[in-house]
Amino acid sequence: MKNKSAAVFATFILCYLVWILFTLTFTAQELIVGAIVSLLVALFTANYFIHEDAFYLLKPNVLINFIIYVLFIFPVELWKANVDVAKRALSPKLPINPGIVKVPVDLKSEYGLAMLANSITLTPGTITMDIVEENGQNFYYIHWIDVASKNSKEAGDMIKGRLENWIRRIWK
Amino acid sequence: MIVRIIIDLFLILGCFFAFAGVVGLLRMPDSFTRMQSSTNIATFGVLWTVLGVAIYAFANQNFVFGIKTLMIGIFIVLTSAVAGHAILKGGYKHGIRPSNLVVDEYRRDNPNE
Amino acid sequence: MIEFVYVGIFYVLLALILLYRVFKGPSVVDRAVAADSIDILTAVALIVFSVFSNRSIYLDIALVLAILGFLGTVLIARYLEGRL
Repeated sequence: MKNKSAAVFATFILCYLVWILFTLTFTAQELIVGAIVSLLVALFTANYFIHEDAFYLLKPNVLINFIIYVLFIFPVELWKANVDVAKRALSPKLPINPGIVKVPVDLKSEYGLAMLANSITLTPGTITMDIVEENGQNFYYIHWIDVASKNSKEAGDMIKGRLENWIRRIWK
Repeated sequence: MIVRIIIDLFLILGCFFAFAGVVGLLRMPDSFTRMQSSTNIATFGVLWTVLGVAIYAFANQNFVFGIKTLMIGIFIVLTSAVAGHAILKGGYKHGIRPSNLVVDEYRRDNPNE
Repeated sequence: MIEFVYVGIFYVLLALILLYRVFKGPSVVDRAVAADSIDILTAVALIVFSVFSNRSIYLDIALVLAILGFLGTVLIARYLEGRL
């Protein structure tokens, strides 16, 4: 019971923060309506939204790693991949070599898996297609615009790069 | 004056990446690689322009505009990841099989989908 | 800042060019992706224009456009997957 109320409270805080950042008018009626709507949304969606520890992301070392990842590590990878795909699209010969590869990933947490999958999808040139679990090991199916290696281990190292190590520091 | 040059640089970068994404979306040969080019529009084609606009708003002490603009940019980037993932899987299950795939391990593992 | 007008017009022109892919696209996935890109480009053009003209109503329209584009794309994807 305590666990559920903590989950509802965390979801309520997140919804209310987003409401305040999107309206930015600090009159009483806006704040009250925002609180009511956020509470309703939190009551209905907390079960789907939070499965583990509700305030895990607020621990100091986790939060610092998260901020470093979002502000410094991920934009560098995003820049490299964007320039690469823009070159491919603009060059006259159109050098593409697409394929769907299967890549092993060493993360256990659901949030970590979702975060790595969304990071891979956001970098142009790779889109995650599906996540499957076989004998306790998780696999991604990834559509890749330039298949440089058909060996799944090497392909995983080339696609994930530094992202997986940093995400393992955030989610176990 | 120096702020204006920085803003112009950001806007030019955003326009360049959006242009590259549109050219890729028109030129690429099959559906899935077109989708890869559209990711180019949805990440840097949005982010650089939104950053330039937000810097302009912050330089004019217009904080409401700046924060709202940044929030809309972050929202577009986050949702485009989910949309791209969903529509790739949906298109594959609908039966779109590009003929130029060099390797297709999803087909090998799930042959009857 | 007259540059904002040029940038907005450039984004709208890119969106108009993408209409070619919406009309021609061989499969429904191409049309959905091109329409999603048109949504995003139009939202960015609205943001730029709202800052140029200093009226915050365009920001709300841009937000609604982004949300509707996302919902439409996910809905089409679920329908194609056969789970709607």
